[in-house]
Amino acid sequence: MKELHNVNVAMRTLARELLESGTVAGVYGWKKGSRPTLTSPLYIQDAAKADRLAYDQYAVSNLSALLLDHRNNDKKRAIFVKGCDSRGVVRLLQDQQITPEQVLVIGLPCPGMVDEAGSLLTKCAECRFPNPVMADQVLGGVEVSKQPSAPTGVTAEAARKVGVGSRAGERMAQVAQLEGKTAAEKEAYWAEQHDKCIRCYACRNVCPACNCRDCIFDTEKKGWVSKAATSSANAFFAITRAMHVAGRCVDCGECERVCPMDIPIMTVNRKLQQDIEALFGPYDAGVDETVVPPLGRYQTDDPEEFL
Amino acid sequence: MKALAKKNLADALALLAGQATVWVPAKVAGVTRFAPWSPAVTLDLEATPPAVSPKEILLPETESLYRYSAYGMDVTFEAVEQEVPPTIIWGIHSCDVQAILCQDDVFLSREPQDAAYAKRRAATTLVALACTTPGPDCFCTSMGLEPAEHASTDVQLHILTDGYGVEARTARGEEIVARLAEKGLLVETIEPPAKAQACTRAVNPEGIDKKLVEMFEHPYWDELAATCLNCGACTFLCPTCHCFDLTDHRRNAHEGTKIRCWDACMFTEYTVMAGGHNPRPGKKERVRQRFMHKLRYFPERYGKWQCTGCGRCVARCPVHIEITDVIKEVGEVTLDG
Repeated sequence: MKELHNVNVAMRTLARELLESGTVAGVYGWKKGSRPTLTSPLYIQDAAKADRLAYDQYAVSNLSALLLDHRNNDKKRAIFVKGCDSRGVVRLLQDQQITPEQVLVIGLPCPGMVDEAGSLLTKCAECRFPNPVMADQVLGGVEVSKQPSAPTGVTAEAARKVGVGSRAGERMAQVAQLEGKTAAEKEAYWAEQHDKCIRCYACRNVCPACNCRDCIFDTEKKGWVSKAATSSANAFFAITRAMHVAGRCVDCGECERVCPMDIPIMTVNRKLQQDIEALFGPYDAGVDETVVPPLGRYQTDDPEEFL
Repeated sequence: MKALAKKNLADALALLAGQATVWVPAKVAGVTRFAPWSPAVTLDLEATPPAVSPKEILLPETESLYRYSAYGMDVTFEAVEQEVPPTIIWGIHSCDVQAILCQDDVFLSREPQDAAYAKRRAATTLVALACTTPGPDCFCTSMGLEPAEHASTDVQLHILTDGYGVEARTARGEEIVARLAEKGLLVETIEPPAKAQACTRAVNPEGIDKKLVEMFEHPYWDELAATCLNCGACTFLCPTCHCFDLTDHRRNAHEGTKIRCWDACMFTEYTVMAGGHNPRPGKKERVRQRFMHKLRYFPERYGKWQCTGCGRCVARCPVHIEITDVIKEVGEVTLDG
C-alpha cells in the first residue's frame, strides 16, 4: 500500500539502529508471508535482517502476547503496534507481566486490516481506538490517543475510506441478537459452539490478557479440569477463559480470528464488556494503565444486587 | 466404468447407512467436518480439504479404556468395551487416505498393536473421492500423492460431469459397489473422469529427511519458534498427528475411568516428567520436535513422510508458520563442513 511505503522504510531503519546500537535485544514486527495477502509475525535479533520487516493492511496479528516469552529477562524488546495491539501492551504493563524498561513501543498508523479477499475486518469496522493508546515513538505521523478517535497519520484518509470505526456504534449487535433468544435457545447455541472446540488453546495463547504463568488448563494433575475434550469440559474452559479476561479483555479480536473452529469468542467477551459497563460504568480495558479494571478494585458503592 | 449419478447419491448413502455408519463431509455448526450421514445432514463434498480431517473417526478425541476401583488392597479393573459398528468413510481425499496409512504404521505395524485402533480400522471401509480443485493451501503432489486417486482406498470415486465414476479396489470395495449396483443405482459410462488441477503450493522435500539429521542444534529452530504461540491448532488439525495422553476421569479418590485423549507436542505439559523435569523446556524444542517428527523421524521409521500436504496447519496457524516454508528453508540451509 503506497501510503505505507515510507513507514516501511522507517521501520527497517529504526529496527536496524535499535539492534545495532544494542538499545534492544530483539524487535517484533511483521514480514510478508507466502502470499501477497498474508503478512505474518516476525521476530528479529540481527540488524542484518531488518529489511525483512513489512507492514500493510494484512498485518492483522497482535504481537503483544509474544512479549510474555521475555518476562523473566531484563533486556529490552521493541514492538511495533497498531491501536489494538498497543492496548495489549498496556494490559501486560498493568498486569505487571513486563516493566516499561523491558519494552520499547513503536506506534504505527493503521489503514484498517482486511481479509485475504480484501474486505475490511469486522473488528476494524467496529474499532474505537485505531491510534496507539501509548507509544515511546511513532512512525507515519500517527497520534497517540487514549480517547476513542478517528484514524490519524499517513493512512488516515485510506482508513476512513474503507470504513474503520464506521460501525463502532453497532459493536454490541451480535450480543443483542443472542440476548433476544430464549434461555433454551442460547444453551443450544453455545453447546453447539463448545462441542466444536478442539482445546488447541490458540485463543488463550494469542491473548495478552491470558497471561497466567501456570494456566489451570495446563495443570491437569490438580484435578480441576479434565483434559478430555468433552462438551462439559470444553464449556468449562470457554467460560473460565471468558470470566478470567472479563474487564481485562482489550477487544483486539485475536482469540476469534485464530480459532480454527470459528467459535464466536468475541461475542462472549463483548457481552461481559456490556455487563461490566452496566454495573460499573464506562470502562475500556488496556487504554489507561493508571485506571484499575472494575473487577480488580473494590468501592463501597459497588452494586451488590445479588446479595 | 460404473457411474453413480449425483441425483442417486442420497439414495446410495441411505442404502449404505442401513448397514453401517457412513461418515460424510458435512457442514456442522459452520465448519466442514465428517459427520454420520442422515437425511438431515448438509453434505459438503466440495471442501478441499474439509476443515477437520476424518482422524477422529479412527482416533477419537477422547475414549474410555477401562474402569478402575481401588479401596485398600481391593483393586479391580474392568475394560470398557467399545461398540464398533461397520463404518464407511465416504468422500475422503487422497491426503486423508494417506494419513490413515501413516496412522496404520504407528498403531498397527509393530507389536503390540493398539487394540482399540485395530478394532475400528478393521471395521472401516474407505470410499475416496477424487480431489480435482485444490484449495489455496494444498500441496499433496509435493508430498508424492496423486489428488485424483489413491491406490490404498477400498473404492475410488472419480469426478464426472453429473456424478461419480465408481471403481472398486479391494474385495470390501467390490461388496459396496455390488450393493449399489444391485439396487440399480449405478450405470455404465465411458465418460473420462475429470483430471486434477495442479496443487496451489509446490515444494521439494527430497533429501530433507537426511539433511535434518545434521540440523538438531541449528539456529534455524530459534528463529522459526520465536513467533510460535505453542498452541495445538496445527497438531489437532493435522490428519497424521497422533500423540495422546492417558489420564483419568476420577469419580473420587478411589474410582474412575482411564481415558485416552489427544495431546500435542506443542504443549509444555506434554513432556513434563515425574519429578518435574521437562526435556523440551522451550518453544524451540517443541517446534523442532513437530517438524523433525514429520520430516525426519517418521520417514526414518516407516519410510514415508508424516505430512500429506493437506495444508490444514498452513491454513490455520495463527502466526502463519507454514510447513511448506520449513521444507523450503531447511532445503536452503547451508551446513558447516
